[in-house]
Amino acid sequence: MLDVIPVSKNTTNNINNRQLIYQASTAILPLAIAVIPWGILCGSLAIKVGLSPLQAQLMSLFVFAGAAQLASLTLLGTSGALSSILSSTFIISSRHLLYSAVFREHVRNSSMMVRCSIAFFLTDEMFAVTCAYLEKNKSFSYLYALSTGITFYLVWNCSTFVGIVAGQFIPNIEDLGLEFAIATTFIAIVTPSIKRFSTLMSVLASGISVCILSITGIEHALIIATCIGMATGFLTASKDKSNG
Amino acid sequence: MDNFGLVLLGMSCITFVCRFLFFYKNLPFELGEKTKLALSYTAPSVLTAMWVPIVFLSYQHIEQSFFTSPFLIAGLLSILLSLKFKSTLLIVMVSMTLFITLQLTY
Repeated sequence: MLDVIPVSKNTTNNINNRQLIYQASTAILPLAIAVIPWGILCGSLAIKVGLSPLQAQLMSLFVFAGAAQLASLTLLGTSGALSSILSSTFIISSRHLLYSAVFREHVRNSSMMVRCSIAFFLTDEMFAVTCAYLEKNKSFSYLYALSTGITFYLVWNCSTFVGIVAGQFIPNIEDLGLEFAIATTFIAIVTPSIKRFSTLMSVLASGISVCILSITGIEHALIIATCIGMATGFLTASKDKSNG
Repeated sequence: MDNFGLVLLGMSCITFVCRFLFFYKNLPFELGEKTKLALSYTAPSVLTAMWVPIVFLSYQHIEQSFFTSPFLIAGLLSILLSLKFKSTLLIVMVSMTLFITLQLTY
């Protein structure tokens, strides 16, 4: 991992790098703390559906995707088929295709190692924090992106571990409503990002359609609602200028 | 879990490919300005599609009515706080505290 960080002979640069790593970890820390209940939920649910503690931890170490892990554990619990687990993983993870498309122009000329590392650590939270950095500094930093990603990875895996241990001692930990932590985190990420009229419209469209789709029991509500939200934002983008 | 190895391998590959696809150098297509504009609405849309059901529809899974659901009340507090404050941690902490208090009270 160290060779992805440009090693500089200049001490000022080293200090700047250290500051950047510190800045990145501090920026993602609130989101990382907020993911702890979610990690605990994933760890304890894995034990409940019959995975061994090692298997539960391996999932967080290799898959590193909270929403997909939670969905597949629920399916494992109801002895779902491999094909349905993998297809739900794809549908939930497909939003990362769009994140990777956003970062494409910034990372396409980097080494394979850098691109693989950034891809592996690419999560909603890492994307949100790195985008905020991008908007503020008008430049992309691998060091910043990777530092946020790795900080988040460590917290995610530690909290999964806590969940694995707690799941063996505390019964019905999944009834505590730990998933509320996910909701409040995402609210805290989305609201400040609404700076344009079109973004507000896309959020409203996505939120209203996901409710209607879920209530009517249509499959893949998440993906359909996301597409409706994106289309609404795109179509109302022309109204942005008149609103300042 | 007999086929856990397959589940783990399959899920790891799928999540990685989704995150890596556009980092591939020789992709046979380019992203235009319009595509990039559309993509800028991805994060708000997908995150909203994930939090809205938790806040507004979770009452179906617990023995609460729509209006007294801790998910709804604490969720609305999160929205109000996020309009006023920038600190994610503050919003999460205060909302979680209210949520847990309501869960314990009921």
